[in-house]
Amino acid sequence: MEKIIFYILSAVILSLSLMSVLSRKLLRSAVYLFGVLTAIAGFYFLIGYHFLGAVQLTVYAGGIVVLIIFSILLTHDIDHQMPTPDWSRVAVAGALCVAGAVMFVQLLQGSLFSRVEAPEQSDLNTVGNTLLNPGGGGYLLPFEVVSILLLAVMIGAIVIAKQRHSVDDSSPEKQAP
Amino acid sequence: MNWDDLLLMRHELQLLAVILIVTCAEIYLSGRDKSRIIPLSLALFGIHMAAGWLWPVEGELFGGMYRTNGLIHLMKSILDVGVFIVILQAGGWARKQLAPENRVSEFFLLIWSSLLGMYYMVSAGDLLMVFLGLELSTLPVAALAAYEVLKMRSAEAGIKFILTAGLASAVTLMGISLLYGSTGTFVLADLGKQMQGNSLEALGFIFFFAGVAFKISLVPFHFWTPDVYEGAPVSVAAYLSVISKGAAVFILMILLMGFAPLLTDLWVNVLYLLAILTMTIGNLFALRQRNLKRLLAYSAVAQAGFIMLGFMSSQQDGKASIIYFMLVYLFSNLAAFGVVQTIEMHTGKEDIGDYEGLYRTNPRLSLVMLLALFSLAGIPPLAGFFGKFFLFMTVASAGYYLLLTIAVINTVISLYYYLLIVRAMFLRKSDNPLPLVTSDGWMRAGLVICVAGIVALGVASGVYDAIYALCAHL
Repeated sequence: MEKIIFYILSAVILSLSLMSVLSRKLLRSAVYLFGVLTAIAGFYFLIGYHFLGAVQLTVYAGGIVVLIIFSILLTHDIDHQMPTPDWSRVAVAGALCVAGAVMFVQLLQGSLFSRVEAPEQSDLNTVGNTLLNPGGGGYLLPFEVVSILLLAVMIGAIVIAKQRHSVDDSSPEKQAP
Repeated sequence: MNWDDLLLMRHELQLLAVILIVTCAEIYLSGRDKSRIIPLSLALFGIHMAAGWLWPVEGELFGGMYRTNGLIHLMKSILDVGVFIVILQAGGWARKQLAPENRVSEFFLLIWSSLLGMYYMVSAGDLLMVFLGLELSTLPVAALAAYEVLKMRSAEAGIKFILTAGLASAVTLMGISLLYGSTGTFVLADLGKQMQGNSLEALGFIFFFAGVAFKISLVPFHFWTPDVYEGAPVSVAAYLSVISKGAAVFILMILLMGFAPLLTDLWVNVLYLLAILTMTIGNLFALRQRNLKRLLAYSAVAQAGFIMLGFMSSQQDGKASIIYFMLVYLFSNLAAFGVVQTIEMHTGKEDIGDYEGLYRTNPRLSLVMLLALFSLAGIPPLAGFFGKFFLFMTVASAGYYLLLTIAVINTVISLYYYLLIVRAMFLRKSDNPLPLVTSDGWMRAGLVICVAGIVALGVASGVYDAIYALCAHL
């Protein structure tokens, strides 16, 4: 049973991601992406990581996709259709992708993956304890570093979006008609 | 956990304190006093830098996620010196360009957050922290590259940088996941033990390497370098070319030489090829540049190739020669960028042709540029000569004579385009040379530190010995 669900989910993820990349309309890509992220949450539920699954659903499928869709709606041309790419480019890119996939499959067939013991229970208590544990096996330091990262990125975003009073522009592109 | 243990993280905590103080200053100072943030920032960072050199300690924190020792301490202190010079040189620019737009403190905050990311990256005990540090050191720089966002080129630089960086970190993450899949651990110390040297690990390592190579701007990953350097503000280009590159070189050194002994055969071959490609392509493209920022960008690519020479030996001499070269390169390159920045800020000119006859009007600036370029080219008795000399010694002692020959040829090529600038400044006469440029006091201080570094490192032999001794254990 688990195997069947796994393969169904994989098929959904693969086809939807392909469609998301290949679609020539922005909004459709975003919707396909939503499907991919939801299906990935399915994986987490399948292996019993309920917390991670819920986070995936709320943060990625819920938050990020909504943000993406919002920003698409704010662009002035929603119906914009990407131009069809040259056949030569498609051929080169396709050949590279196939070559990469073949190499990967060959590598993975050797089944060089090592087995990792999963923690027995992954309830909220364990997750919270691991996340905020300063000792061995805990993730307090990365947690705090991520918060600095978010702060820095927010400052960066603000400074780019900030209104300017004086404009000193000497770039040639700007002056060209 | 004992509170005293947090002293191990002194570098990071100090810098965090500096960041928080300047943030508060930004919030509480009224609009007119905002330009006071520049001296405040410089003073605070100067204290941080000076205090950073003291008391190197050794130990681990957070269950091995954070580790430090004498060598890591030295790396952080070197990065500190570089950042201090960069922000010193940026002081005048910040006052003139940023203060009227009320964007002074953000410039410092972004540079420091990026530096903090580098600290955590260099000190990382597992791949998760390496990746987080890499991200924290990269993302703020994208905002910095687009800092003059109303200039098209600057905005373009920012977009280009963030797209390439995003791709690079995705590839890095893929590599990390393959390494984890194969070994079942994130912890660097265990990673070395669990590795079997199979092809999955090799692929993971290559992917991981691609992300780091992007930051060092090694050749197949260098396409962003000239465009971003040209578009970004000069201080940011200087930061990218020295600090960003230095941190990436350090982490590569720690990972390759410290934790992945089984893959030695693989990466020696890969780096052998990349070093040749990077030096040659960087130099050949630099020959054709007329814009000084682009020229320095390609010269930075070529110098990255020289740095890779040090990786040919994973012994003590390889490590020491890399760190010593980084230190020398830091002073030389920052001096060159400082001169370009001064000229650009006051006259807006950045082509080689504009520098004709510079010596007649600006003798001191020309002299600084001369020293910087000679040091970059590796002319004795300046520091750059010894930096290259130790790298070449490493290659020779490892027995790669073909590589050595190519490196020497490349040095000669690089000498040609460095001398083109020198010829323009000293020998060419121009009907209307650039007017006398009076640099501000901060820039002058920055240039004086650089020149002192270039000259002193060439004379003082004790520095290399001290670094060599520290490199005994990584």
